[in-house]
Amino acid sequence: MLDEKEFIQQLLNPKTQNEAFQQLLHTYQKPLYNHIRNIVLNHDDTDDVLQNTFIKVFQNLKNFKGESKLFSWMYRIATNEALTFLNQKAKKSGISSETLQNKAIDNLKADVYFDGNEIQIALHKAIATLPEKQQLVFKMKYFEELKYEEISEILGTSVGALKASYHHAVKKIEALLSTN
Amino acid sequence: MKEFKLNTIPKIESGFKTPEDAYFEKFSANLLEQLPKNEPKTVSLFQKRKTIIMMVAAVFVLALAIPSLLNNASRSNEIDTTTLENYISYQSNVNQYDLINELDEEDISNINITSNIALEDTTIEDILVTNNNLEYYITE
Repeated sequence: MLDEKEFIQQLLNPKTQNEAFQQLLHTYQKPLYNHIRNIVLNHDDTDDVLQNTFIKVFQNLKNFKGESKLFSWMYRIATNEALTFLNQKAKKSGISSETLQNKAIDNLKADVYFDGNEIQIALHKAIATLPEKQQLVFKMKYFEELKYEEISEILGTSVGALKASYHHAVKKIEALLSTN
Repeated sequence: MKEFKLNTIPKIESGFKTPEDAYFEKFSANLLEQLPKNEPKTVSLFQKRKTIIMMVAAVFVLALAIPSLLNNASRSNEIDTTTLENYISYQSNVNQYDLINELDEEDISNINITSNIALEDTTIEDILVTNNNLEYYITE
């Protein structure tokens, strides 16, 4: 990809915007799909959230000041969209976020975009018991293999705090999986 | 009980499959259709005329307001009663006799009707005793 500043200029210029946005879509749609999928768990919900994310990115490009990287700015939007979606869905159904996630995990066996086994389902169920922030940190570090510095930029949390969150998450998951 | 350690066992993947390229191609196409188009801003002819109409209306209002403004300005040049009284009392050569001469019967009766001067008998007596010239004024 071009130098990021130059690419952002292309995204803001009405003449080059369409082509630049298509390039942005091509580069980020797969990693953002995986990121959102890890949070909302269900493919159809991921599709909706991914669409909302890109629309929000397009609408807010003019407000992007370049203080953070385009990558972390887009991941931040995707994370917020996914969490908002989950909370709204849980509220509408009158259940907790954990119950909603457990329902989604139970439905994974029938999902064509899931080929996991019992251990993977047990791992997802263990993750669902964690507080929201620990879940995010664990998924971004363990599944997506993002660096602490990148997660720090996305979530706006210090690297030290992220390491502590990840450590607590790992301990809780190991304890849960050991008892099962 | 066997202790489970995430670091020691081979990494457990999430199990989520990334959809095939066809899904993302369709996704991109759908999304690009939904994005708001950057169309040039159009200004309607009415919008342009509206400004001109408003300017003409403002000129009319101003033209109508000028006579009343001038009228107000000329009114402010009129001498008010207090200024006139002060002038007669301190500045002019008009004396009491001149004023008395200017009053006719009608003026005197008007003063009696319009001004509610309530004088008690004792007050009138006091005035008559202290002012020697009054007799002269009355005869005048």
